[in-house]
Amino acid sequence: MPRLSLIVQRIARTAWRWLREWSGDAAYDSYVRRAARVQPGKPPLAPAEFYLEQIERRYSRPNRCC
Amino acid sequence: MKKLLRIVVWTAIALLGAGALSAIALHRGEPLNATWFVLAAACCYLVAFRFYSAFLAARVFVLDDTRATPAEVHDDGRDFVPTNKWVLLGHHFAAIAGPGPLIGPTLAAQFGYLPGTIWLIAGAVLGGCVQDFVILFCSIRRDGKSLGQMAREEVSRRGGFLAQIAVLAIIVILLSATALVVVNALKSSPWGTFTLAMTMPIALLMGVYLRYWRPGRVLEASAMGVALIVFAVVSGQWVADAPSWARVFTLTGPALAIAIIIYGFAASALPVWLLLAPRDYLSAFIKVGATLALAGGILFVHPAVQMPALTRFIDGTGPVFAGKIFPFCFITIACGAVSGFHALISSGTTPKMILRESQARLIGYGAMLMESFVGVMAMVAACAMSPGVYFAINSPAGIVGTTAESAATTITGWGFRLDPQTMHDLARAVGEQSMLNRTGGAPSLAVGMAQIFSTTIGGPRLLSIWYHFAIMFEALFILTVIDAGTRVGRFMVQELGGHVWKPLGRKGWTPGILLSSGLIVGAWGYFLYQGVLDPLGGINSLWPLFGIANQLLAAVALVVATTILLKMGRRRWVCVTLVPMAWLVTITMTASYQKVFHSNPRVGFLARARELAEQLAAGVVPAAQIAATHRQIFNQRLDAAVTAVLAAMILVLIVEAVHQWYAILRGRGVAALHESPYIATKWLPGTEGAHAHGLPGGND
Repeated sequence: MPRLSLIVQRIARTAWRWLREWSGDAAYDSYVRRAARVQPGKPPLAPAEFYLEQIERRYSRPNRCC
Repeated sequence: MKKLLRIVVWTAIALLGAGALSAIALHRGEPLNATWFVLAAACCYLVAFRFYSAFLAARVFVLDDTRATPAEVHDDGRDFVPTNKWVLLGHHFAAIAGPGPLIGPTLAAQFGYLPGTIWLIAGAVLGGCVQDFVILFCSIRRDGKSLGQMAREEVSRRGGFLAQIAVLAIIVILLSATALVVVNALKSSPWGTFTLAMTMPIALLMGVYLRYWRPGRVLEASAMGVALIVFAVVSGQWVADAPSWARVFTLTGPALAIAIIIYGFAASALPVWLLLAPRDYLSAFIKVGATLALAGGILFVHPAVQMPALTRFIDGTGPVFAGKIFPFCFITIACGAVSGFHALISSGTTPKMILRESQARLIGYGAMLMESFVGVMAMVAACAMSPGVYFAINSPAGIVGTTAESAATTITGWGFRLDPQTMHDLARAVGEQSMLNRTGGAPSLAVGMAQIFSTTIGGPRLLSIWYHFAIMFEALFILTVIDAGTRVGRFMVQELGGHVWKPLGRKGWTPGILLSSGLIVGAWGYFLYQGVLDPLGGINSLWPLFGIANQLLAAVALVVATTILLKMGRRRWVCVTLVPMAWLVTITMTASYQKVFHSNPRVGFLARARELAEQLAAGVVPAAQIAATHRQIFNQRLDAAVTAVLAAMILVLIVEAVHQWYAILRGRGVAALHESPYIATKWLPGTEGAHAHGLPGGND
């Protein structure tokens, strides 16, 4: 059943990608992809710098509820 | 043919829902199966989502997919990040889901299962989901502006300022009420206290991992953290069994309150990467995992609901909290049906990440339906245990006493059979010294969850592990709200304080950070500490105060939304926000009035202050209690003042808005709408998803 295994593979890959995006695991990758377009000529931040900047911003406005 | 099939399917869903609802409403006598609750809720949500939210999207808001969203226009890879709609639904749900929908329905179960369940479903479908959806829509059209900014621009400057103050007050009350729930769950519980204490070093370890070793590798760090937490839950038993260790982690209520206050201060003042962010990652995973597990458990075990549909406590004499079913059932449930706090999320991060306006329907309306479902499950878990046990866990010492024997006598006298031995057995089975007087909802929900889980996996042998897992989950949840809320509150204090005294507004200034953190922690810490000392159980005064504050904020959000709809010329459909707003104003104003002026000392703050003052005057208070009684009198008056000021502020805002509505409807003056200008989207239809992932196909 090659088709079934292909479908399972696709579902698993999508789920994994969504999980990485939801959790923030993929945030740096997508930032780097965008950085070149948004600020051409400027080198993107290093992973640690980006991580710090991102969480600093996220936790300075309401982002968790009752 | 296809159309016919659709009509048949949707008619079947609607009929099934109606049948399940009437089964719940009309059933009397024998315990009712929980499957009916799940069916009724699920069918109502499906029908509401398919029809009502579609109507809102097409007719009332007229969502426009040719319009570029803020994520497309401002795409900067930081705040404005185009995000796949399912991922964004996950983000939004994780942000709005908190301890509220777990605690509120559990407390409201004292009225019986029926009123709470109906309000959870109806309130969400007609009120809460509409609020989240409309605010998300308004914010998308305004580059992701916050509720406060929208209130300032669309209603009035004063309205915006009042909304900002109200938000700060609500945060303070919310933090004290939820912290009190943690204290009541962990007092004299070495196992639970040890487990929660262990989450701190685990978070620190994750923080260092994410900052220095593998920057930003959230999944690796979280997997490690979750594994360590599970180990901490299991090893808590060994700590509880070793007397020398157990002594260290057996804390009284006041000691726990002080520990939580210190924690709140530390989380607000320390760098966020060290403690706050890693704990939040942990909590998000455990939150989603435990919620799914509870849903699975209820479907698999389908426990019988033993609580009656209505109890005698609808007359206002309830032991968990006092007050009649109207308005206090609605005030108590709060977040599971309508939550004003959600308006802050819907006008914060989410509108800056959405790809298309039409997706606001799934994310705004849909996520709130999920939250409401969590509330229904909490109601089922609380009602699945024997009512006698439910009341023994949730009644304060001032009403049922502190021994199993006295509690059993009192509760059996109410008509709920309870044997003292049952309470001893329960405490031993879950690994606690006592399960009495644990007002607040978390322990009874944990017992309910543990009973459901242990039926699925492990049997009675694992009951204590499941119980402490559930306690850890709720406490972790609440501490996340406390640390994130304290930090946001600190920024608000800095911003507002910066108007009065410039240096306070400076972001990186350490004395300013310490001072504003101290102010906000001092404010909620004060209410928390007084709540812990309150002999009537602080939940009785703090939770209604929180509910009132939260529902008032929801009323503010709906006032802003109504104003915007009127300015957009949608007066024909203005009822969709006006009716829930009018209902919220009615319940909050009634509840505020009763909490301040009611003649019953358990309901009215002033009556309680008067009662205590009379006891002092009559000389019946023992000498050792005189200072404490003076303090209680002061606190009752303070609570009354806070309630009155909040209600008055919101009334001023409503008067301003109504004045403006009148002008709009009479056609006087120009109703200036502060929407961002229309920009056509450059994304081809169907490529947004590809764009969000940066895959080929997105035309950037």
